[in-house]
Amino acid sequence: MMPLNGRLAAQITAASAAALLLGGIATAQAAEVRVTVAEYSSATGPYFQEAAAAFEAANPDTDIQIEVVPWDVLLQKLTTDISGNANSDLAIIGTRWLVDFVEQDVVSELDSFMDDDFRNRFIATFLSPSVMGGKTYGLPIAASARAMYYNKDLLAQANVDGPPATWDDLVTTAKAISALGDNTFGYGLQGNEIETDVYFYYAMWAFGGSILNDDGSSGVDSDAALKAATLYKSLIDDGSTQPGVTANTREDVQNLFKEGRVGMMITAPFLSSQIKTEAPDLNYGVAAIPSGGANGTYGVTDSIVMFDNSEVKDDAWAFLDFIFQDDWRSKFTRTEGFLPVNVAVSQEDHFQNDEDLKVFSAVLPDARFAPVIAGWEEVADTTVRALQRIYLGEAEPAEALATAASEANRILGK
Amino acid sequence: MSSRLAPAYLILPSFFLAAFIILFPLWDLSQLATHNVNRFGQIRYFSGFENLLAVLDDSLFYQSLWRTVLWTVGVVGGTILLSFPIALILNEDFAGRGLARVIIMLPWSVSLTMTAIVWRWSLNGQFGLLNKTLQDLGIIGEPIVWLASGATAFPMQIAIGILVSIPFAVTVFLGGLSSIPADIYEAARVDGASPWQQLRTLTLPLMRPFINIALVLNVIYVFNSFPIIWVLTQGGPANQTDILVTYLYKLAFRFGKMGEASVVSLIMFALLLAITLLYTRMVIRDEQTR
Repeated sequence: MMPLNGRLAAQITAASAAALLLGGIATAQAAEVRVTVAEYSSATGPYFQEAAAAFEAANPDTDIQIEVVPWDVLLQKLTTDISGNANSDLAIIGTRWLVDFVEQDVVSELDSFMDDDFRNRFIATFLSPSVMGGKTYGLPIAASARAMYYNKDLLAQANVDGPPATWDDLVTTAKAISALGDNTFGYGLQGNEIETDVYFYYAMWAFGGSILNDDGSSGVDSDAALKAATLYKSLIDDGSTQPGVTANTREDVQNLFKEGRVGMMITAPFLSSQIKTEAPDLNYGVAAIPSGGANGTYGVTDSIVMFDNSEVKDDAWAFLDFIFQDDWRSKFTRTEGFLPVNVAVSQEDHFQNDEDLKVFSAVLPDARFAPVIAGWEEVADTTVRALQRIYLGEAEPAEALATAASEANRILGK
Repeated sequence: MSSRLAPAYLILPSFFLAAFIILFPLWDLSQLATHNVNRFGQIRYFSGFENLLAVLDDSLFYQSLWRTVLWTVGVVGGTILLSFPIALILNEDFAGRGLARVIIMLPWSVSLTMTAIVWRWSLNGQFGLLNKTLQDLGIIGEPIVWLASGATAFPMQIAIGILVSIPFAVTVFLGGLSSIPADIYEAARVDGASPWQQLRTLTLPLMRPFINIALVLNVIYVFNSFPIIWVLTQGGPANQTDILVTYLYKLAFRFGKMGEASVVSLIMFALLLAITLLYTRMVIRDEQTR
């Protein structure tokens, strides 16, 4: 009996060892999909964790790893990861970076995964910036536009009936609000860090200018640009803006607005959700950016891309397909205060009836996106430098803009 | 023969370690600097001096270089000038000396980035503590927006740089002071030397090696220091507070010009090496002549 038992035991041991080994192989086959997401707010991480958990429950063979990265360092982190060949499978990026990624062949085209049904989930305006050379390289995950926020109480105190419809109106309104004294400022003017140039384009677009001319050369030395820069400089000189413009980031101006010390400012819809929690008593309204003959606002999308070196493209796509369902999109868009990118989400009551969001949806047809050109960040930086010199009074608008344009043309190779 | 070579063999392991840590990045940087590199650090083709010429053609490079000199001289000079008397005071025996030493050392225990973030708030034109304090004291009437222009932002950054460099210099000086035997002062006093004469003829010469080491190490740290300027102004507005490190960072991570950034990095390395070598030679010659 004993030998038999012994042999049996040996067989059982071998069998369980094999089972363990097989089991090991089976778990190794469970695909791991790494996703780098930008931290839009403190709710971003939990949202993606929740989505990942729901996806894993439905697809036990896939393991989703979410990496949350603050916006400011996102590009640097992706750059370092890619150069070290340690990048994730999916990542959120600013759509304006996409052209660099596509040029270097680091992202995968997505058309082979998509059918028309999937494509039609999106509002076409927001999908188009991710399409290059007829191929789709990213899916819009967040969208935003800009409009003017105004403080109703300050306008009333300054005896102004409503938000300015034109830039001339804005100048008189800003003057009247600043004249109220008591540390209130008419027009909140951003002069530092991200989107300082965009704050200037609002006026430039309204006067009929554009960032790039039709031949692809810089348009920041156009008459419209000069008019916009001169207008901003005169607002500063008149004391119609907050003091020390070049120290004020968008965040700083928003803080002043939330404190009820700035009459008007131009920014993104997320200010509404910030006001709701941080300054619920603020009596404010949202209006279109004033006109100057033409109309223009800034449209921004962030895209989620798939890296070309991913070894689990099918699983990664399955996760994308999952989070681009309407209920997940709706939840994300609401908590982050973005504009809907999905047709079905945009038709929800929340987005149809919200006073603020209605304005943003209405200005969308006028939205312009950052130009899709390599080296855009550097061109934007030269514009910011010129603007800061103008705001500081170190250079005349015409001279500074001309310098910026020739510098930009050198970068653009025009 | 072998016994004469023995010391060399014993040094070899440390030499290789140091060489690996220093030479490998240098090799890597020179590769990037002489090639056309994409924004992801992938090398594309050999481009010779193209990156170097592009850097030398950029007026921002020279502005940043000049400002780096001002920054280094300002911060290191200020630190040494302030730290020496502080160390002399802290070396005296007085009630509460322990507490005073802790207070002087405190800035060291907070991360540089944290310090800079706190200062960014203090220097805010609308809500900042510094303006509030100065207004309460009646020194200024209207609030000053410190970070709005280089003329006010850069001196502030130098001042903060000095503040955070003091603990290290004071530590070095205190170590030096404690190594000076007390009896020579006693002898000097007996000979009728005034405190000023004691400082000039005894303390300063004996402290020279410590001042030298504090100078060299501070120059290296400060020349390369990034957080204060980056957190406060990111080199702005209009590049008025850019030094070489912030300029390099923007080249690499904002504009994706890895090759040019590597060139700047190598230039910085060469400059620091030259300064250090020059200084060490001066010190050695100085000591041989005495």
